[in-house]
Amino acid sequence: MIQTNLKTSGGYSKAALQRVKRHRTTEYTLAVHTLLTGLLVLAVSALNLFKPYVSDTFLPAMSVLLVISLFHAIALLLVLKFVRRNKRIAPRMAAIAGLLILTSATGNLFALLLGIQLLRRIRGQENPTSAKWEDIWESLTRNVAAMTGLSFIIFLFSISVCSLFTFDYSMATENNYSAILQHPSLAYPLGTDNFGRCLFSRIIFGARTSLIVGLISTAIPVVVGGILGAVSGYYGRRTDNIIMRLLDILYAIPGILLAIAIIAAFGANTVNLILALSIGSIPTYARTMRANVLLVSTYEYVDAARAFGSGDAKIIFKHIVPNSLAPMIVKATLTIGAAVISTSSLSFLGLGVEPHIPEWGNILKLGSTYLETNSYLAIYPGLAIIALVLSFNFLGDGLRDALDPKLS
Amino acid sequence: MRKTSLLALLLTFVLVASACSLKTKTDVANKPDNSGTTTAAQNDTRVDIELLSMSSNESEINIIRDQLTKNGFNVKLNLQPDYGSFKAQEDGGNFDIALSSWTTVTGNPDYAVRSLFKTGGDYSIISDPELDKLIDEAATETPEQYTDTYKQLEQHLVFDKAYIAPLYISLKSQAVNKEVLNPDTVRLSKSRALAWETIDFKDTSKRDKEPLILTQSSSVLTSLDPIKGNDGSINQLNTNMYVRLINLTDDDKITSDGSLSYNHSIAEGNTEYYFLLRDDISFAKIDNKQAVDTGERVGADDVIFSLDRAKDKNSVPDHRTYSLHEHIKTIETVTDLAALDNVKQSSGKGSIREALDAGLDTKIKELVADKNQADHTAGKYQVVKLTTTEPFPQVLNYLAHQSAGIVSKKQVESINTYDVAKFDVNKDIPYGDQNTVTEGSKYNNTLYASGPYILSYKNDYEGIFYKNPGYRKGSKFEPKIATVKVRFIADSDSALSALRSGEIHLYYGVPETKYDTIESDSKLKLQSIESNAVSYLLFNTSNRDVAKNEDLRKAVLYSINQDDFLQFYSNKKIKAVSTVSPIVKTGNELTADPAKVKEYLDKYKATK
Repeated sequence: MIQTNLKTSGGYSKAALQRVKRHRTTEYTLAVHTLLTGLLVLAVSALNLFKPYVSDTFLPAMSVLLVISLFHAIALLLVLKFVRRNKRIAPRMAAIAGLLILTSATGNLFALLLGIQLLRRIRGQENPTSAKWEDIWESLTRNVAAMTGLSFIIFLFSISVCSLFTFDYSMATENNYSAILQHPSLAYPLGTDNFGRCLFSRIIFGARTSLIVGLISTAIPVVVGGILGAVSGYYGRRTDNIIMRLLDILYAIPGILLAIAIIAAFGANTVNLILALSIGSIPTYARTMRANVLLVSTYEYVDAARAFGSGDAKIIFKHIVPNSLAPMIVKATLTIGAAVISTSSLSFLGLGVEPHIPEWGNILKLGSTYLETNSYLAIYPGLAIIALVLSFNFLGDGLRDALDPKLS
Repeated sequence: MRKTSLLALLLTFVLVASACSLKTKTDVANKPDNSGTTTAAQNDTRVDIELLSMSSNESEINIIRDQLTKNGFNVKLNLQPDYGSFKAQEDGGNFDIALSSWTTVTGNPDYAVRSLFKTGGDYSIISDPELDKLIDEAATETPEQYTDTYKQLEQHLVFDKAYIAPLYISLKSQAVNKEVLNPDTVRLSKSRALAWETIDFKDTSKRDKEPLILTQSSSVLTSLDPIKGNDGSINQLNTNMYVRLINLTDDDKITSDGSLSYNHSIAEGNTEYYFLLRDDISFAKIDNKQAVDTGERVGADDVIFSLDRAKDKNSVPDHRTYSLHEHIKTIETVTDLAALDNVKQSSGKGSIREALDAGLDTKIKELVADKNQADHTAGKYQVVKLTTTEPFPQVLNYLAHQSAGIVSKKQVESINTYDVAKFDVNKDIPYGDQNTVTEGSKYNNTLYASGPYILSYKNDYEGIFYKNPGYRKGSKFEPKIATVKVRFIADSDSALSALRSGEIHLYYGVPETKYDTIESDSKLKLQSIESNAVSYLLFNTSNRDVAKNEDLRKAVLYSINQDDFLQFYSNKKIKAVSTVSPIVKTGNELTADPAKVKEYLDKYKATK
């Protein structure tokens, strides 16, 4: 993707392209993505200029974003000039790295990644784990599909954060009866729904809900399932039996049915939605973790730690868990997509978040009744869901390849 | 790189250029407020309010939520998936305001207020002596007099006390597949349910070969005993299964057409009502799932039996309609012809006999007590006289309601042998129980239908009706189509799809947002008229702040902007003030007023 980007941005002679290719370090890829994500956020936010009015914080926020983007451009140039493969980076780049990390407050996680990467290179950590980290990034940044996915996710994350300042929430939630069911125009880039709310703003704000619910409802089972799996894999025997059989009971209930039951019992709101989606997927994570722990705990360094007299907790969380994490990360990334779909499905059934709160499933549900007359109401939220799920899947695939020791 | 920098530069330029003319939210918001000086010390806390509704009313809920939110409320939604759980929440008092709707199926204003707002009414949670007085006063008045009384009632109900906050009157509409049905034969009436007997195919040769396929949303039928239900699941079905003494025309006038009576008349003083009965209708029953003529005539004894049980709260368990008939004092057969000659009509001109004789081929020669002796060709008729507890001309509207449908005395008495006081729902099977007509082990159809059609059996998918072979054979009211299937389709979008694909022939109650779709389909015809259905917000009257605090209720009332609803439904709704609005034009109007909302809210907050 990077290649094509550079090609299309044109102006480069073949020789120059060769030169760029030669310098295509991880840092360079990250820097390009940082800049592009920032510009994309800026451009999408700038569409608000055509609205009848903008939020009070629009102008200052846009100025800050612009300054940050300029800084990212400078950072890119610096990276291009001073960062070389297998060479130490001058310590003065540390200031740039620090600033980059600061700018990641806009939600542009590429800046954070780039900052950390630069700091690591400056410190010159050459121990084995650091090498592994390098390899992972090396492999991931070379995977175009994975980077596209990651870009889209980070773009959404960033726009979710920035929309706090650059978008007006009332455009997405307050009814405007004078602008009902308008076709896409400059003021309403994706048209308006049957209550006259701007679909574009709703989808942007919906990203926040979808992302938050998707991430948290994956993080909870990863942590809970991970701990349960680790404990049961490490101690084995009776502990294992009790924990796993209990989880088997949970596993026997179909996930979406359990979620519907929980929401029906406790009411439809975001917190219940997250819990409902989380609980159902705890067993699968516990199983994955347990299998890894069973394998890892037979390794010599675990025996060595035990011989040194380390406590169980220390062995589990310092030696075993970090080395069993890779499959969990891959699995989590792949299931975030599923969680986003579940959220949308439940909202579509009227069991998710309250109907007026922008959430992609909600928006799609409303649009589905206008498929024939105002199809854009269903197409855009549908595309957004597809794109996000696809992005997580691409990223998951890329991570799996990058983390797989056999492939690297 | 140069390109991206250029892009950034361009963006900067655009930003700077537009910044000069850009309006921010506060710029826009402050403009209209410039005139009023804002007071510094304000209580800006939002007032919590819980809105209860079925989730199928999502659009209305969103509009109400939006209006209340903009007026300083914090709206909590309590959405229930179906009517059962909605009712349970309502009965449990888990709401401040509940989105409710009412359809006056009898077409008279008394019904629109009596059971809803009178102390002790079957659907009433309100107790206000002033309201009771006005309701009773209006009931005895003629249309010319009652307009003013209902106006006062609205003033008290809505503006003075804010027991309800009105939203809109709906249109009643149906879409007909005009390639299959003859659209001229499909009636659309303001109040009464759809009459099936007149409906005919475009190709009349298909009458006996093909079924007429209709749809309704509810597959669970409350009861097929007419007095035990008064809701959307059975109104149309029972209307077509049981004939009544009287009918309503499409514009809510009283008529004998298509009813059990040849003629009817009101006696001087407005307390006595006379009906001349037909002798050409007999009950149908179901034998081997087919409709057969029982040979048993529908006569005066059945009328007396049916209306006596309709007004008696204790005639059956779960009597849902007795309050409609509480004005009936007695009902009896008249056998003395002289009694008809001696009584004058309410207009003061002519005797009752003259009124009942009007338009008959053979004039009344003799009145008989036994229904089997009646013979209109020989001038032998049956006449029943109904006396009301007080002068109450609107009683005729109630007699046209499906709950006044005529059932067979013999059959119902033979089925309902249980003791009402000790009725055991697990053991006793009452007449009209839906389980007896649902396919399965409990199937045992004991229905006796006096109307044009009879239900043979039903399942979750459809109900099958056959024409009553003994219903006015040879007349223009004889049912045209032999078989009627009612498909149960819960979702309105699915029902519309079914209509468009030709699976059903007629779709009754098309949502306003779908009118365009139907009008753009060449094989469909849309018919619509103003209905008697009113949507309103009902306030909790027992355990919440809104129950005690009038100011809070008024703040909600004046937050409601009916124009928004009209705009949302592209003017396919009509403004309302109360449930009588579709029937009596009182001239009242509710206007949204944010200033009043603020005033009442401040008053409310001061009491906290």
